[in-house]
Amino acid sequence: MTDLSDSRGLSASGLRAQAERLRHLAENIANVDTPGYRRKLTSFEAELSSRGPEGAVRTGPVRLDRTELPKIYDPSHPMADATGYHDGSNVNLIIEIADAREAQRSYEANLKLFDQARQMSRGLLDLLRR
Amino acid sequence: MFEKLEIFRMAHGLATHAGTRQAVVARNVANADTPGYRAQDIAAFADTYRKSGDEMHLRKTREGHLPACDPLPFRTDLQAVDGPGEPNGNSVSLEEEMLKAADTKSKHDLALAVYRSSLGIIRTSLGRS
Repeated sequence: MTDLSDSRGLSASGLRAQAERLRHLAENIANVDTPGYRRKLTSFEAELSSRGPEGAVRTGPVRLDRTELPKIYDPSHPMADATGYHDGSNVNLIIEIADAREAQRSYEANLKLFDQARQMSRGLLDLLRR
Repeated sequence: MFEKLEIFRMAHGLATHAGTRQAVVARNVANADTPGYRAQDIAAFADTYRKSGDEMHLRKTREGHLPACDPLPFRTDLQAVDGPGEPNGNSVSLEEEMLKAADTKSKHDLALAVYRSSLGIIRTSLGRS
């Protein structure tokens, strides 16, 4: 029974981490046209805490993508410099969408396992019933 | 009394094994995107199951001796599964884990069904229905 509640805790940590990753991806996509925006990178790491089951996952500190910002030529833009260029954002929509797909897949897998652990413990408790 | 009957002991062992394996699979899936994580698994129940009486118990030779606790009828040592990994050193395959999860669920259901029907047999033999 402790294994099953551990299992639910682990799946819940996975759900939280994937949801946070999806949130940062949504921020990136929303800011695809914001001048000077650097895309956010989410990393996963093991959670080291005395509470909760061993081996849970959490998201690490958010880092910004350090790749060069593209120069966009638009002399009428208010942020354009003397040569008529301004910084774009380094968000690549294809990468973000692919990443979002992967996050969604992992989220669903965690959700399925959470549900399964719940069914298993309900089966155990049903033994008490006549 | 019930855990002394072999069938109850086996059903209890299988259900416990399925619960432990479920936790292992949940840990693998939760860490499916953690860099450097290696997938884990525990040995199959059928391979490590020991019948009661097969294992070596500490013998009580005097009344004051404390009994050795009844060990689980199987081993649950974790072992890393080596497979083709991702470039970041992670070796979890979600498809593989889903298969394992389905297998675990059916084993758990099987254990509970066996337990329940054996309970029914005992009830019948006691004259209740």
